[in-house]
Amino acid sequence: MSRQINNRTLLLFPCLMLTGVLSAADTPKVTYLRDVAPILNKVGCTSGPCHGAAKGKNGFKLSLRGYDPQFDYEALLYDLYGRRFNRADPARSLMLAKPTQEVAHGGGLRFDIGSDYYKTIYNWIAQGVPYGNPAADTVKRLEAAPTEIFMKAPGESAGVKVTATYADGESRDVTREAMVESNVPDVAAVTDASVKGARVGEATLLVRYQGNLTTLPVTVLNPKPGFVWKALPQTNYIDRTNDAKLQRLKLQPSPSVDDAGFLRRVSLDLTGQLPTPAEVRAFVADASKAKRGAMIDKLMASTAYVDHWTLKWGDLLQNNRKYLGEKGGYEFREWIRESIEKNKPYDHMVREMLESRGSSYENPAANFFRVTREPKPTMEKTTQVFLGVRMVCAQCHDHPFERWTQNQYYEMAAFFSAVGIRPGYEVGEEIIYDQRQDFDMKHPKDGRVMNPKFILPAAHSGDSAVPTDARRRLAYADWLTAKDNPFFAKSTVNRVWSYFFGRGIIDPVDDIRASNPASNPALLDALTNDFVAHDFDLRNLIRTIANSRTYQASIATNEWNEKDGENFSHAAPRRLSAEELMDALAGATGVRPVFPEAPLDTRAEQLTDPHIGKDGFLDLFGRPPRESSCECERRSDLSLPQALNLVNGKTISDAVADANGRIAKSILGGRPDRDLIEDLYLASLSRPPTAAELASALKYLQAGSSRAARAQDLLWALVNSKAFLYNY
Amino acid sequence: MLVIPGRRCHTCEGPTRRELLRAGSIGMFGLNLANFLAWQKTARAAEKFEGARGFGTAKSVIMVFLQGGPSHIDLWDPKPDAPANIRGDFKAIPTKIPGTHIGEHMPMMAKALDKATLIRSMSYTPNGLFNHTAAIYQMLTGYPPDRVSPSGQLEPPSPADFPTAGSHVSKLKPPKEAVLPFVELPRPLQESGVIGKGGAAGFLGKAYDPYRLYQDPAKPIKTEDLALRKDIPPERLKDRFELLKGMNESMPDLEKALKSYAIDEYYGKAFELVLSGKARDAFDLTKEPDKVRERYGLTTFGQGLLLSRRLIEAGTRFVQMNWPAVANGNPEVDSWDTHAANFGPLKNLHCPKLDRGLSALLEDMNDRGMLAETLVVAIGEFGRSPRIGVSTSGNSNAPDGRDHWPYCYSAVVAGCGIARGAQYGESDQTASSPKDKPVHPNDLLATVYYALGIDPDMVLLNHLNQPRELVKGKVVTGLWG
Repeated sequence: MSRQINNRTLLLFPCLMLTGVLSAADTPKVTYLRDVAPILNKVGCTSGPCHGAAKGKNGFKLSLRGYDPQFDYEALLYDLYGRRFNRADPARSLMLAKPTQEVAHGGGLRFDIGSDYYKTIYNWIAQGVPYGNPAADTVKRLEAAPTEIFMKAPGESAGVKVTATYADGESRDVTREAMVESNVPDVAAVTDASVKGARVGEATLLVRYQGNLTTLPVTVLNPKPGFVWKALPQTNYIDRTNDAKLQRLKLQPSPSVDDAGFLRRVSLDLTGQLPTPAEVRAFVADASKAKRGAMIDKLMASTAYVDHWTLKWGDLLQNNRKYLGEKGGYEFREWIRESIEKNKPYDHMVREMLESRGSSYENPAANFFRVTREPKPTMEKTTQVFLGVRMVCAQCHDHPFERWTQNQYYEMAAFFSAVGIRPGYEVGEEIIYDQRQDFDMKHPKDGRVMNPKFILPAAHSGDSAVPTDARRRLAYADWLTAKDNPFFAKSTVNRVWSYFFGRGIIDPVDDIRASNPASNPALLDALTNDFVAHDFDLRNLIRTIANSRTYQASIATNEWNEKDGENFSHAAPRRLSAEELMDALAGATGVRPVFPEAPLDTRAEQLTDPHIGKDGFLDLFGRPPRESSCECERRSDLSLPQALNLVNGKTISDAVADANGRIAKSILGGRPDRDLIEDLYLASLSRPPTAAELASALKYLQAGSSRAARAQDLLWALVNSKAFLYNY
Repeated sequence: MLVIPGRRCHTCEGPTRRELLRAGSIGMFGLNLANFLAWQKTARAAEKFEGARGFGTAKSVIMVFLQGGPSHIDLWDPKPDAPANIRGDFKAIPTKIPGTHIGEHMPMMAKALDKATLIRSMSYTPNGLFNHTAAIYQMLTGYPPDRVSPSGQLEPPSPADFPTAGSHVSKLKPPKEAVLPFVELPRPLQESGVIGKGGAAGFLGKAYDPYRLYQDPAKPIKTEDLALRKDIPPERLKDRFELLKGMNESMPDLEKALKSYAIDEYYGKAFELVLSGKARDAFDLTKEPDKVRERYGLTTFGQGLLLSRRLIEAGTRFVQMNWPAVANGNPEVDSWDTHAANFGPLKNLHCPKLDRGLSALLEDMNDRGMLAETLVVAIGEFGRSPRIGVSTSGNSNAPDGRDHWPYCYSAVVAGCGIARGAQYGESDQTASSPKDKPVHPNDLLATVYYALGIDPDMVLLNHLNQPRELVKGKVVTGLWG
């Protein structure tokens, strides 16, 4: 049968093209753009595992999710010598015979003979497969109704109506062809266009149709009676904004953590270090009401603070000797460190890198370009690190979950196409310069020159022309760091926030897009506005977050907030990072590990790059290799090899038994049992033992013959306990 | 293949990105998520392939990876009637597979093939890259490498890499007991300065990297974190765990907040692993009678295979046993990369070790009944050019060398019900391309997953949250006869 179809269509093809515009008068006018393409998307033809795959499927390639209708139309028309259509007898067209399984189809049955989709395609073929007019048949606006769904209890349902408005003004109900998906299906479950509240919480529906997308928030309230909001003290706008939402969602926040718990948490988050026993004692004993704020200021003035944030920026900017050489990496780190130490306004810091020229030794900010080297990866890095936007998908196809197109990818990459790198005069030195010619960015499909153009216009400058000469990257720096750039400040506050809460208000923090909404947009806006109002002052941002009651909340939950995972109504434990863990172990055991390449007494947080101590403890516990600027490089999971290392590996076993360690010194110093136990608790868990803990530790210590060995066991157990491994 | 019966879905993409993201919200840092997904996917696969031939027949895998690219025409697929510049120096000998001959320097394997299937139609066309790392990456991850440095060498391993087969297996089929799920020995995959590419967990995260035992198993093996320390006898370790338990229990709020992270499970496994000594014992080859050790050959390769068997006995899911000499190494030592001196070294060095070791493994595992539930695969990243002394990969070749040849090569597969004493596929007159039943490396990988009860078509999310098939291959069910 298929042979028959093929032979006939082949003969009919030329006249098909000629008579295509003449259509039967009694059927509605059908075009590829307006009618047929949505069907191919809806039934899955253009999906990634099917014909939308990079190489197509079984010799038939369509663009991924139909982002390129012109390409798809031509593929349908001209591939196989146009054998997909039989205009004289449309029913025998391969384009109908395949999806209806009349002819064997690897993708199975997509729609039935006689179904609406079948009829539409049938009519389209009968009318001569017209493409349509992009100026009239393109969707200009997509709307979902209602604009917000509020359910009083799980179990309620709501319908969604999706309307597309075309360039020519026609509106059409496209509910059936639109893709409606929920970002948290166990809160809001979607079946076709109906939403069901599955459990208490919030979700966002992503509605997609022909490259357009819109979102629709869904809230499912807790129906449990008896909720009475108990107001807790509010320190600043963070608490006010977040409490407003918690109250609306009937989530009673947890009160503040106790003093010792606060000190441990804030020391780790600001400096990556545990407080010493003496610091814990002094802080707990301090009767001053303002002591938490004072402690935050004190920690932020320490060198450990500078080291800690230098490490974080070193990760994001991929300071790695593999790319920069040993000296380059050292100089780059010094530049980052100085920026943190002086609290350089963040926009200045970013600007210095983007505008950098000259020697990588004399102007270390220029190392920024030496990591990625090429315009495309440089652009991907700048958007991901400074805007939280991932453009990488758009290199090969329009972004499936965002509005970014492949054209925009190359327009954005064009901002860096004139950056040149050439060898310098010293060993390992390189010079960053602006090329004078032959630096055009070309589109991979047809080689046309892509001029630089912003993904979003800058409001402050209107649509003023972007220079096409080598000054293009200066224009980029202006646009990026402008106060009204919609992503620059927002993505930064969101990223910094995540370092204090274990997740961003938008999460993952470097994947901001319409389909990945903020859990609390008002809170994110408030932080953003404050950051901009303070001229991108990172320290002010960090201080504001650390002082909020929201940050200082306990991990203990109540009946109202125990299931909350994204509204910051209570703290969530976070595993210590590799470097924090290694430094915490050094503090608890009194034995600092030695890195042959670094000066004695270098803390893990102070290491220049991941080359030092490679493949050891730090890498096992998820230190980022700095091969990419993705926040996901740092791993915080726990695994069997890690547990083996903690339980039986050299690092801990040796340290607790070290002849110069905490235990050895305590025993030799003749510390009484109670003192010794208290010291161990303070040094590891940053709090004194409870009466019960003290009693059981005393019992253990005094039960056996070797007091030193028993004390080592106590310390071993303390540093293996969850209270040590986690920041909570 | 694209329609999953019994499941409703709008597109044919399998679990949607949303569904997977939703699963992500179940455990905070991917711990429970991993287990949950593994469970979910196993359940789905079981439903999809219920009763299918060969599905779920294997509990574990030994991947004997002959890195460097052994010459299929000299080992497994002799062509005595071909011209001398193809035929080479070796004669063909009959095997236990009726009508099938192999190279004369594999006499013990000729007998042992009654327990295995010889695939003679392995084949793929590289996308522009003919070097070892690219081929190794393709073989073991199922994906072509995408990042290549200007010199044509691959980038070193990166967290964005596609995971190696053993990592997938240890994530999707976690062992139930306290054992090392995935062990790689006795040295990494390597080509020149690129070490370990295609042999790591990539975007699955380091937690799923192999336990790397890079030591010579022919010498006593040191396993520090598996062996109890002298100063900590079992009683003391038990005391320590009791203490630890008490300390954790005294902080109930933290216990509650961390409940879903499965920390106690990992600690429990580590404790058992250290205390039971099972893994440590598996590494102790002195527990084997001398006769057995000698049967495998007192070489790094032979003892490595014996160690592989012991690890499988102890419950390890996936053993990646790499040929101990690397690509771009010296054939006069025993690298399979015989651009020069193909025949002398093969005859005197390579073949005797491989012949003895692999035949011993098959016989030993068969005698112990282990072959029933273990899949053994012996393969390299490609074969070698049928014509002697020509360049097929851009490398220079000596007149007595053979170049890289991915278009047609051979593999030995055995166990978990795979046909015994059978040949699968056939090459053409010069062993240049498959005559029938071509098997792409992805098909072989798909078959490995399938044998373990894993759906090879399942979709997972890479580091950019892009959906990717576990492997794009077709299961070779024909191997089960």
